[in-house]
Amino acid sequence: MRSERLLPRLFLVLLVAVIALAGWQWHDGAPVSANLMELVPGSAQDPLEQRAEQRMQEPLNRELLVLVGSEDRQTAVTMARTLGEQWQASGVFEKVQWNLQADLPALRHQLLQGRLAMLALPDRKLLIDNPHDFIEQRVQSLFDPFAGFSLVPSRDDWLGLTGRIQGSQPRHGAVDMDLTSGALVANADGRNWVLLRARAHGDAFDMQLPLKVADLLADARQQAGRAQVQLLAASGLLYAANGQREATREISWVGGGATAGILLLLLLAFRRWRVLLAFIPVLVGMLFGAVACVALFGKMHVMTLVLGSSLIGVAVDYPLHYLSKSWSLKPWHSWPALRLTLPGLSLSLATSCIGYLALAFTPFPALTQIAAFSAAGLIGAYLCAVCLLPALLKDADLRPAGWPLELAQHLLNLRERLLRHVPSPALLLILAVFCGGGLWHLQIKNDIRQWVGTPPGLLEQAQAIARITGYQPTSQFFLVQGADEQQLLEREEALGKQLNALVAGGKLHGYMALSQLVSPPKAQIEVRDALSQLPGHWQPLLALGIPKDALRAELTQLGQLPLQTIESALLGPLGEPWRGLWLGPTGQGVASMVSLQGLSDAGQLRALAQDLQGVKLVDRLGDLNRVFAQTQVSAAELKLASCILIVLLLLKPFGLGGAVRMVALPLLAAFCSLASLGWLGQPLTLFSLFGLLLVTAISVDYAILMRERIGGAAVSLLGTLLAAATTWLSFGLLAVSSTPAVSNFGLSVSLGLAFSFLLAPWAASGREEAPRA
Amino acid sequence: MQWLQHGWRACHASLWLAISLLFASTAHAFDLKDLSRQLSEPAVIRGPFIQEKHLRALPQPLVSQGTFVLAKEYGLLWLLKTPLQQDYRIDSQGIARRDATGWQMLPGKSAGAQQNHLFFAVLQGDSAELERDFELNLQGDGHAWTLQLTPRSLLLKQVFTRIDISGGAYVQRIQLAESQGDSTVLRMPDSTSSASLNDSERADLAQ
Repeated sequence: MRSERLLPRLFLVLLVAVIALAGWQWHDGAPVSANLMELVPGSAQDPLEQRAEQRMQEPLNRELLVLVGSEDRQTAVTMARTLGEQWQASGVFEKVQWNLQADLPALRHQLLQGRLAMLALPDRKLLIDNPHDFIEQRVQSLFDPFAGFSLVPSRDDWLGLTGRIQGSQPRHGAVDMDLTSGALVANADGRNWVLLRARAHGDAFDMQLPLKVADLLADARQQAGRAQVQLLAASGLLYAANGQREATREISWVGGGATAGILLLLLLAFRRWRVLLAFIPVLVGMLFGAVACVALFGKMHVMTLVLGSSLIGVAVDYPLHYLSKSWSLKPWHSWPALRLTLPGLSLSLATSCIGYLALAFTPFPALTQIAAFSAAGLIGAYLCAVCLLPALLKDADLRPAGWPLELAQHLLNLRERLLRHVPSPALLLILAVFCGGGLWHLQIKNDIRQWVGTPPGLLEQAQAIARITGYQPTSQFFLVQGADEQQLLEREEALGKQLNALVAGGKLHGYMALSQLVSPPKAQIEVRDALSQLPGHWQPLLALGIPKDALRAELTQLGQLPLQTIESALLGPLGEPWRGLWLGPTGQGVASMVSLQGLSDAGQLRALAQDLQGVKLVDRLGDLNRVFAQTQVSAAELKLASCILIVLLLLKPFGLGGAVRMVALPLLAAFCSLASLGWLGQPLTLFSLFGLLLVTAISVDYAILMRERIGGAAVSLLGTLLAAATTWLSFGLLAVSSTPAVSNFGLSVSLGLAFSFLLAPWAASGREEAPRA
Repeated sequence: MQWLQHGWRACHASLWLAISLLFASTAHAFDLKDLSRQLSEPAVIRGPFIQEKHLRALPQPLVSQGTFVLAKEYGLLWLLKTPLQQDYRIDSQGIARRDATGWQMLPGKSAGAQQNHLFFAVLQGDSAELERDFELNLQGDGHAWTLQLTPRSLLLKQVFTRIDISGGAYVQRIQLAESQGDSTVLRMPDSTSSASLNDSERADLAQ
């Protein structure tokens, strides 16, 4: 026939075009991304909030924090220095820091210039409201043997303002400076831990960098191990490296395992090498999926690849549809077999696509990508199976093994015998009890952390570092906006008051706010005005022998100090820890962030921000988890919608009763697998739900196969068995993934498929039709 | 920068500790090890002190007086009497100051790791710890000796020029010269040792 010659050629032209497109897409390197944030819904945020978020995340994705620990401090310092120098030379890092180089003159200069502007709120209050006590305290500190070293000598600051500023700087954690080397050292667990910080050139989403950093760290660990030095490391880069390695490993496992299993199955069942050609649609499917994904989204996420590799098992079902007819069609010819199964094949493509595309309507870019990848992949596989493969298998002389058919027949007989003892309604009742009990036990769990495989080793180290250094950054922060610096700093001070209460109550370790560094302009003026009352109270200072002229000169000098802006305060060395918090001018004024340390209860923060004007809590993780919970509802709705769509699709070929029955079975299978999750003690996550959404679509296939009964019940069951086995192979392998979300997805799909297979024969019962072939 | 300042504060406090804890009778042989070993021997040392702060801009030093009690096992009590009254306590918890309601830990001076480290190092007579940050130069004999501490690191040199400690049977004089030109002299003319704390000292130190 003409079409038998034309179709393969047309398809080859299409294939060449797609390959060319793929070549063009990949010419600049792999368009693959590992950025987790690309997978989660971008909530409707303003650009300022996005900028703030990026600023807060940047250090997590670029910085490597290492503690070098040894019982002997010198050993630890030496190792930290050695590693620091090696890493600096490696070219991977922009900056490596193992000690502090203090610029004392610059520090002194800033303290002297900032004597009015940088005075903390309580000190300001004391100076303004109670100048008598202010002077008394100064006298006391001049005699205090433990007052500590003041950077500015007394003769330059008789009032002791710089000492107060030094003393009010917030301190986090338990890190001290080693006075000999300048290294930052913490003591814990009987060891000295030297802090080593490195900032990478790129970030964690650069595909090469994380692996390079992980390799450097592995080398460093070996080196340290030889010197009996322990290393603890934490960085988003390490998580990224781990994620990439895991993804690569899993893609090879899932892809390789499924491929090997399917090829073996094909060989065992059909006993001809040429049948391996049936794998071509799978390869074509993967190609189409990848090309469509890159074309639509610009790049592909590694998670799409991992989940997408499960498509292998679904795509191979199309050739299996007509290959399995070789048990009944003797002799088997490829084109006639295809023609016989084409309606079913097309229906199953449509239902699968409906199932996958339903995923695309969730607010998760991750699932949209997977849906696009899979739908395009299935279409590719279908086209290949329909247009090209029959031509390749034209003269194939398939001699399928007898045992699979016998097995299928045996299974059918088993079912018959079961039905004779227990009728279908009774079975349904048992199933309902099973489902009810399981659903009762089912727990719902949603957490963005399921999306990332967190290897316990990395997590433990990060926790140890947080414990040893006391440095525990939280993902939440406050975004503060004001019309001008005055309003901004006032709002920060109001927020600071509330946060101080949390710190005092032990709910929060500490926080960083620009208002700790510099006072609002009006407050600076108030302090300056309050200076004029000091001569009335400074008798105790004069009594110590401090010349009146010196004090007068100091007052004059203080009165002439310029007002400090946020930017001028940030410029000096003391401003360094705060620099990241300043967002600068926005359309409506100025904005800044307030970062938090060691938070124990996120709920309180939200309430706190509600009462303050211009203050907003940014809690991306919390927001995401809420989105997860909301999405569960929409997932259920989508499922319903896709079922209705499939019923409509099946209405014409199978009638209302048939269509409803064929959709009810997969739904029942989905409930059974939900119940199984409950019985197994596995949580229901958004991913298991999505998995079940998919199961509905795939298992309608089985119902179609069983319903159509081309070649008899046993042959249809065998076709279903083969299709289920191959699909199960690829999804089942996902269950071994180290990423909880992926493994959860794999588990729920595997369970769903098993139940779908078990329930599929009921698609045909009801009214027994004569075999159509 | 916070760490830097914290470090200095810890250092300063530790130094005073180290120096205070050097009050000890010294006997026969005279090298650092022997000195160190003897430092830990008396359980309690007490006596009066006179502190003179020489500020470059003042013609007269700021003079204060009081008494101290050093208990090997518990810590140091520093009781300033004139020209103002103020009590300090240094122990493994950190530095505390007494106000109307009782002992108050000084913020930022709580048990800094390094501070504790030095504290216990000195308590145990471990001059090796001091030697890491300072060059130690010991001269004289057990009846009249001088210990000179010179900072090793550039960082410390920016803070102290040197520290001189001298004594006979007990430490008698400590002079701390700051790089900015100010200096502090601490004199302990009449220290005595005893086997135990009295009740009020015990209440303050060993609670």
